[in-house]
Amino acid sequence: MSVKIEVIEGGIPHQKILIAGLVLAVIGLYLSYLNVLLGTQMFAFFGGLAAIAALVWGSHSIKILASYGIGTGVPSAGMIAFGSGVIAFLFATKFGVLAPIVAIILAAIIGAILGYLANEVLSMHIPVMIKSLTEMAVVGALTLMGFSAMISGSFTFSALTSTPTSVIGKLLAMFLGSPNAATTSFSLYIGGALIATVFLLGAIAIQHGFNACLGPGWKQDRMLMLTAECGFLSMIVAAVMSAALINPAAAILSFIIGLVGWYYTYMKYIELSKRDAASWLDAKPIPEVVEGH
Amino acid sequence: MSALGGPKPAGGSTGIAPVPALVSLVIFVIIFAVMYMFGGSLGMTALIGIVIGGLLIGFGVHFVPVGGAPAAMGQAPGIATGVAMLAAGGGLAGLFGGAWAASQGTVVAVVTGAIGGGLMLAITCFFVNFIYIYGMGIPAASGKVKKDPITGDSQAEYKSQGTEGHGLPFVSFVGGVIGGILGGAGGTLIYLMLLNVYQTSLPGVMKATAAQVAPIAVSLAGMFAIGMFLVIAVLAAYNITGTIEGPHDPKFKRFPRALVASAVASALCGVAAILLVMV
Repeated sequence: MSVKIEVIEGGIPHQKILIAGLVLAVIGLYLSYLNVLLGTQMFAFFGGLAAIAALVWGSHSIKILASYGIGTGVPSAGMIAFGSGVIAFLFATKFGVLAPIVAIILAAIIGAILGYLANEVLSMHIPVMIKSLTEMAVVGALTLMGFSAMISGSFTFSALTSTPTSVIGKLLAMFLGSPNAATTSFSLYIGGALIATVFLLGAIAIQHGFNACLGPGWKQDRMLMLTAECGFLSMIVAAVMSAALINPAAAILSFIIGLVGWYYTYMKYIELSKRDAASWLDAKPIPEVVEGH
Repeated sequence: MSALGGPKPAGGSTGIAPVPALVSLVIFVIIFAVMYMFGGSLGMTALIGIVIGGLLIGFGVHFVPVGGAPAAMGQAPGIATGVAMLAAGGGLAGLFGGAWAASQGTVVAVVTGAIGGGLMLAITCFFVNFIYIYGMGIPAASGKVKKDPITGDSQAEYKSQGTEGHGLPFVSFVGGVIGGILGGAGGTLIYLMLLNVYQTSLPGVMKATAAQVAPIAVSLAGMFAIGMFLVIAVLAAYNITGTIEGPHDPKFKRFPRALVASAVASALCGVAAILLVMV
């Protein structure tokens, strides 16, 4: 059970990835808070970048945990990360500007207790269990907070629940049967469960990197690049959703940044895959049949 | 399913060490004390309901025949995917079903959720067997028991050499349906408890009418219920180390410690979900 099967050969040590991911995510979240300070929405894309920093760190945590052979599959690690993360994130949104810090602390507490339950009560006895589940809960909370800040412009509870929702300037009447449906509107982000979409966008992005790259040919830079690529792909979708909640210019800016980041990381990932592959056949589209002989 | 996981000893230890059990109890009591201080009777009732829901989910997962990667290759019995996927498919189907019936009262909604979860897993189990038998051409046979505990059919003649069994024997099918019923009921119960708390408290917190906060209450309760559901399901999956054949599997005897873990985990997540509107 607790026999470590794979070891990390070379690459950046986990501690460095952890610190870089945590610091970049917090900085990104606070840069997105400039929206509130400056009364604009153009800095929303920093939330998406914060989420990607957290995802890259989380992907490496999953690699460390899954290399012990937990037996339940890599996707389950992404699910528990976001399951515990969403609870910490939603609770932390109450605290306004302190939300990212509260989310980190609360997610760490929830993750540590879950890790203890898994390790001691359920007798997993995996040395990195408590540390990994703690990290993953924090990653889940920060990723959700990053995408939330990107979609609705801010990460506070009032912004997530009460930003007016409009599609190309037309206010959506959200409350069927409510007498003042036409005049009052609450955000679609929580009220319309856009958060559920973000939950799975993040949960898939965090686990796909390791799930796709595991095996004897695992290389750290290739896995992290794939995770970043998944993160940018999620960011593109989040940017499309953000068009309903923030002004179009900010949404288009997020979309362009997501698209550029995705293209760069995708090309880089293909390059790294070619480097690590034994051989590479560039399969062309179906060739045109030449008439005659 | 990690392809790198080595063979696990069947059954394994089933008990809980005394120290972790004591620590769990202390955490559990602290959470309820916090709830009692801040939440009042509304919060306490909701938290008790959430813990019961968590216990149902944690217990239910042990019934579901989770096969993982070996089942996909026809080398082990069960549904060929991981617990996280099955829980999301069966349990959340029940949760959504129950959520539709939320306005009809707790009992009707929980029963609806249970039927939704059970139906989802019955359909899943049926098509799993359909594909195994008519698609892959392999019979259903258990590797863990000599005779099916329900039908009494002998298993060994149908089991291929070198495998742990394959397909879904009748007992696994029944286990899957029971697991779906318990998971759907548990998920719905958590949702209803949270929905009640939010519908009562949110109008005051957000200074809006009950009709205005209704979408937010529904969405928050659903999101927290999904989060808790996945946490508890994955913890239960850790307990069975990924794969189980059903209620006849020796690993099933490990469920008491999963109940302890589920109770603490659901109380922990529940207290955060309730205090969101209470503090």
